[in-house]
Amino acid sequence: MKKLMLLVLAFLVLLSSSAWSDGGVLKIFTWSEYMDEESMPQEFEKATGIKVHLDMYESNEEMMAKLQAGGLGQYDIIIPSDYIMPSLINLNLLTPLDHSKIPNIKNVGQKFTEVTFDPGNKYSVGWQWGTVGLMYNKAKLKESDVASWAILFDPAKNPGSFYLIDSVREMLGIALVYLGYDFNSNNPKELKAASDLLIDTKKRKTCLGFKGGVGGKNDVISGIADAAIVYNGDAIQTVSKEPEKYGFIVPQEGSEIWIDSMCIPAKAPNLEAAHKWINWVLEPEVGASLSNYNQYATPNDAAIPFLTKEDLENPGIWPTPEIAKTLHFVKDLGKDNNMIDQAWTRVKSH
Amino acid sequence: MKSGWIWPQKKSRCSMNKLMIWYGELITGKKLMKRGLFFLTPGMLWLILFLVLPGLILVVVSFAGRGSYGELVWEFGLDNYKRLIGFGIFGWTPDYIYILLRSLLVAIVTTLISVILSYPLCFYIARKPERTRYLWLTIVIIPFWTNMVIRTYSWFLILAPEMPLAKIAAFFNLVDPGMPLYPSAFAVYLGMISMFLPFVALPLFSSIERLDWTLVEAAQDLYASNYRIFMHAILPQTLPGLSVGIILTLVPAMGMFVVPDLLGGAKYMLVGNLIQQQFGASRDWAFGAAISMGLMVLTMFSLYLYKRKIKDIDLL
Amino acid sequence: MRKINLLVSITAISTMGFLYLPLVAVAFFSVNNTKYGLAWKGFTLDWYIKLFQNELILHAAWNTLVLAVVSTIVSTILGTILAIGMDRFPWPRRMNTSLDLTLHLPVIIPDIIFAAAMVVAFGFLRSLSSIFEPGLLNMIIAHITFQTAFVALVVRSRLVSIGKEIEEAARDLYADTTYLLLKVTLPLLMPGIVAGAMLAFTLSLDDFVISFFTAGPDSVTLPLYIYAAVRRVVTPQIHALSTIVLLVTIVLVICMERFTRRKNIK
Repeated sequence: MKKLMLLVLAFLVLLSSSAWSDGGVLKIFTWSEYMDEESMPQEFEKATGIKVHLDMYESNEEMMAKLQAGGLGQYDIIIPSDYIMPSLINLNLLTPLDHSKIPNIKNVGQKFTEVTFDPGNKYSVGWQWGTVGLMYNKAKLKESDVASWAILFDPAKNPGSFYLIDSVREMLGIALVYLGYDFNSNNPKELKAASDLLIDTKKRKTCLGFKGGVGGKNDVISGIADAAIVYNGDAIQTVSKEPEKYGFIVPQEGSEIWIDSMCIPAKAPNLEAAHKWINWVLEPEVGASLSNYNQYATPNDAAIPFLTKEDLENPGIWPTPEIAKTLHFVKDLGKDNNMIDQAWTRVKSH
Repeated sequence: MKSGWIWPQKKSRCSMNKLMIWYGELITGKKLMKRGLFFLTPGMLWLILFLVLPGLILVVVSFAGRGSYGELVWEFGLDNYKRLIGFGIFGWTPDYIYILLRSLLVAIVTTLISVILSYPLCFYIARKPERTRYLWLTIVIIPFWTNMVIRTYSWFLILAPEMPLAKIAAFFNLVDPGMPLYPSAFAVYLGMISMFLPFVALPLFSSIERLDWTLVEAAQDLYASNYRIFMHAILPQTLPGLSVGIILTLVPAMGMFVVPDLLGGAKYMLVGNLIQQQFGASRDWAFGAAISMGLMVLTMFSLYLYKRKIKDIDLL
Repeated sequence: MRKINLLVSITAISTMGFLYLPLVAVAFFSVNNTKYGLAWKGFTLDWYIKLFQNELILHAAWNTLVLAVVSTIVSTILGTILAIGMDRFPWPRRMNTSLDLTLHLPVIIPDIIFAAAMVVAFGFLRSLSSIFEPGLLNMIIAHITFQTAFVALVVRSRLVSIGKEIEEAARDLYADTTYLLLKVTLPLLMPGIVAGAMLAFTLSLDDFVISFFTAGPDSVTLPLYIYAAVRRVVTPQIHALSTIVLLVTIVLVICMERFTRRKNIK
C-alpha cells in the first residue's frame, strides 16, 4: 500500500512539473482582451515556432498576488503597470533583460527608455500606454453630462446604472482628484475622505458595484450598465466602431495615465522565448497591428508610421496637451502602500 | 457498539501483554495496538500533515505582519486582531465588525428561510409511497451536488432586465426600469438560499422519515391548534435532523464567497469575500489569517454543538 | 387538514421548482441563437460545437478529470484504511474523540479557511522544494485531504452498521487477519467504500473554493474557468459548457443514488 502511495506521488510529480518541454512554449500572463488573443499568438508561432499560452488577470494587484503566491516559475512574460514596478523590482521578482537578445529595443521612444521606474529598461520594455476614463451610453448620457466626474459622485445627478472600476489606485486616485487632492495622496485624512466618497457612491441604487475595466466595458455594450470607468483602449475599440451609440471621455478633474511594460519574472521557465517575444513585439508592424487592434497608444516610435490615421487623431488614444495636463502617473508609495490597501479594503467592506 | 472497553485503564506494561478477546480473536494488547497503528497511520499522518499542520501555521501567521510590498514579514503582534475589532489606520471603524455581523445575519436568514421551506418539502416527500419516495429524494439531491459556480451565475440570467422578475420589480418601482435585479442583497439571499436549502432539507428528511405520526394524530384528537401540533408534536421529534441541518448551513454560509462575489458585486461584502480579498488583491496574508481565525472560533463552537447532537442522527 | 395538505404540497413543489430554476435557465439559454442579450432568437447547437473546438476548455476539462480521478483513488484508499483503523480497534476514549474531531473538521469548516491554510502551508513547502508551486500537485493534495475525511466518515458508519458478529464468527472458524480482511470485511464494506468514493469524486469535480486558491496557470479546472469567464462576460458558450457539466453531475448523482439504495436494501 505504501508502494502504491509512492507510485502515485511520483506520478503526481511528473504530472505537475510542466507537461511541456521547455523549447516550445511561452507562457504569458497579461490583462484580458489586451491583444488579439487568437491571432497574435498564432503570428508569433508562425514567426518563431514557439507556442503561446495566455493567462489573464484584471488588475495589477491580482497579478502580484498570483506571483507572490508562487507564480514566479510559471510565467515567462508579465505585463505590469508602471506603479507596481518598484514593488516587483524591490521584491526581486524580475529577471533583468538581456538587451543583446532584443535588438529592436532601439525602436522604443525616448520617453519610454528613460522612465522613472526603470531607467535604461533594465527590467522592462514598454508595451502600451493609455488612460482611464468613462465609457458611456450616448442614448442615456450627453457629452455635457459626463464632462465631470460629478456625474458619478454627485448624488444629485443621475447617470443611469454604472460601474466603478475595480482597481485600487485608479479608483482612489479619481476620487482624490475629484475632491481636489493629489492623485497620489498619502495623507490619511484625504484618503479617508476619498474612501468615504466611494462608499457613499457605491451605496447608491444606481451603482452596480465594482468591476474590472474589461468587464465594465462589456456590460455597457450589453446594456446592463449605462456607464462604466474603463481603460481607454477597451472603450475605444467599441466607440470607434459605433460612435453614435457609445462615447469615451476623460472627465475634467483628471485621471490616470499609465504605461504597461513587458517583464520577465524571476524564475521564468523559458528565457529564450521570452526575449524572442519582446523583440518580436518591438517590430514596427507588430507593434502597429497590436495598437490598431487594442486601440491603445504605442511606446514604439518605429510603429507610429503604421498606425491608422483615425487612431493618431483620436484624442482618446493620443491625448491632447490639455487633457495630458490633467493626467497623472500613479506613484509607488513605498511604506504607505499599506495605507492605500487599508483604505481600499475599507471601501470594499463597508 | 463496541463490546466494552477491554483496553486497560492504566497502561501498565504487564497488562499490555495480557491476552484478551477482541472481535473473537485471542490477542495481546500490544499486538492489537501495533496492528491498529498500521491502519491508522497513513490516513492520520496525511491529515496531520495537510490539515492540522496548515491550520496551526495559519494561526501563527495571523500574528505576523505585512511588508510594504505585500509580502509576509515575521514581526509578531496583535495588530491584525486589533484591526479586526476596528482599530485601523483611519481611527476606529466598525467596518470589519459590520462584515462579521452582516455575514451572521445573512447566514441566519438563509438558514431560517431554508428551514421554513424545508419542512413542507420533507413532509411532502415523506408522505409519498415507499416506491416513489427515493425518486423524489434523488430529485432534491441533484441540485445539491451541482456546481456552485454554475448555480450562482445562472441568477445573472434569471435576474436580468429582460426577464419577468426584473420587469415585475420595475413595475412596482423597486428598481429603475431596465436595471437588473443584481448585484443586490436580494440577489445574494436568493443565491444563498438556493445553495443551502438542500443542506437543511436532507438531514431534516431523515428525521421526518422516522417521525412518529401517532403523536401528531394524538395531538389532533385532542383538538390542538396546528401551531401547537407543530411545536409540540413535530418539532421536538425532528430536532436532531434539524440541528444537524442548521449546523451544516450556518457556518459554511458565513464563509461563502462565491455568491456574494458574483451576485453582490462587492456592494455586499461578507467574511468570505474579505478573506479572499486578503489573499488576492490586498495581499495581506497575515490579516486574512486573522479573519479566518475569527471565523474559526465560530466554527469550533458549531462543531462542539454538532458532536453533541450527532449521536441522535445518522447522516453520513 | 386538507387545506394544510394543499398548502404543504404547493410549497413543496414550488421549492423544488425554485431549486431547479438555475439549472433550467442555464440549459435554456445554452441553445439560444444570440451572442448578447437574452431575447430568444431560435434554437441552435452552435455553442456546443464551438466548445469542442476551444482548446482552453478541453484542457480545463482534462485537468478537472485528472484531478478528480487521482484524488479520489488516493483518498478512498487512505480513508478506508483510516476508518478500519478507527473503528475496529479499542482505542482509549480521548484518542477516539480527537480522531473523530479531526475527521469532522473538513466537513464543518468553511472551505475558505481550509483553502487559506493551504495557501499559507504551500507557501512554506515551496521554500523547501519548488514542486509545490500552485498547480495540479497542490490541488490534488488539498483535495485528497478533505476527501479522505469524507470517505473515512462514510466507511466508518458502514463499519458500525456491519457490526462484529460476522467477523467474530469468521475468527471462530480460524480465519487469520489477512483472510479476515480481504475475504470478509472488505466485501461487506464494498458498498460503503464505493459510496465514499463516489462522494469524494463528486466533491472534487464540483469543488471551486479550494481549487481557486491552489491552482496554477496550467491547472485551470472547469469551475475555475467558468468563474473567470462570467466575471468578464457571460456568453452562451459558457451556458453550453455549464449545461454539459450539469448533465454529467446529474448522471453521476443518479448512479450514486441507485447504487447506494440498492445496496442498502440488500
